[in-house]
Amino acid sequence: MESSIDTFFREVLDDRTSVASQLEEIHGLAWEVIDSALLDLCRLRVAVLLHCGSELKISNSDLDSEKIASLSEWSSSSLFSKSEKACLRFTEEFIIDVSAIPDSSAFAVRECLGEKGFVNFVNALLVVEQRIRLQIVWRKIGEEVSV
Amino acid sequence: MTRSKRVTSSHFDNKFREALSLWQEEVVQLDLVDPVTTEVVRLRCADHHDCYT
Repeated sequence: MESSIDTFFREVLDDRTSVASQLEEIHGLAWEVIDSALLDLCRLRVAVLLHCGSELKISNSDLDSEKIASLSEWSSSSLFSKSEKACLRFTEEFIIDVSAIPDSSAFAVRECLGEKGFVNFVNALLVVEQRIRLQIVWRKIGEEVSV
Repeated sequence: MTRSKRVTSSHFDNKFREALSLWQEEVVQLDLVDPVTTEVVRLRCADHHDCYT
């Protein structure tokens, strides 16, 4: 089912329908290769850090509200598992400076998800992050053009 | 900061990998930005992401 964000991308990309379709395809697959609740936690953290309101309004999993409310305190909260904490740490570092993620953060995720899971996670996170950054830029441009 | 090799193989889900490749091919074929600028940006991103493919 097409989401409101898919619709947004289709409108922006206009007649570049194959690009829009490929974006929907990789986004859909990102949620298939990684546990959806885990990726949703990371997606929400990215949305908070980048101030992407449209992503904060949606849910791609059955995350409980208490966990979502505690997301900014994940490092000290007992609500989050070792695997979730490793992935959230990696996500924050990925967003701030992807070229400066320390070995310790990468190895912690690899230890929790396995090697293939780690590579799947990084690629899924890349798709989620880039989709959010594209939304931010294109919504901003749209606002400026419409003024 | 140390940044050693983190995986022995960069293989991941085949279907996902193929879809990502197709998406990237579609993006670089867009013609609103000139080819030289597109290539400079692509190479800069590849270097920043440690991507040697």
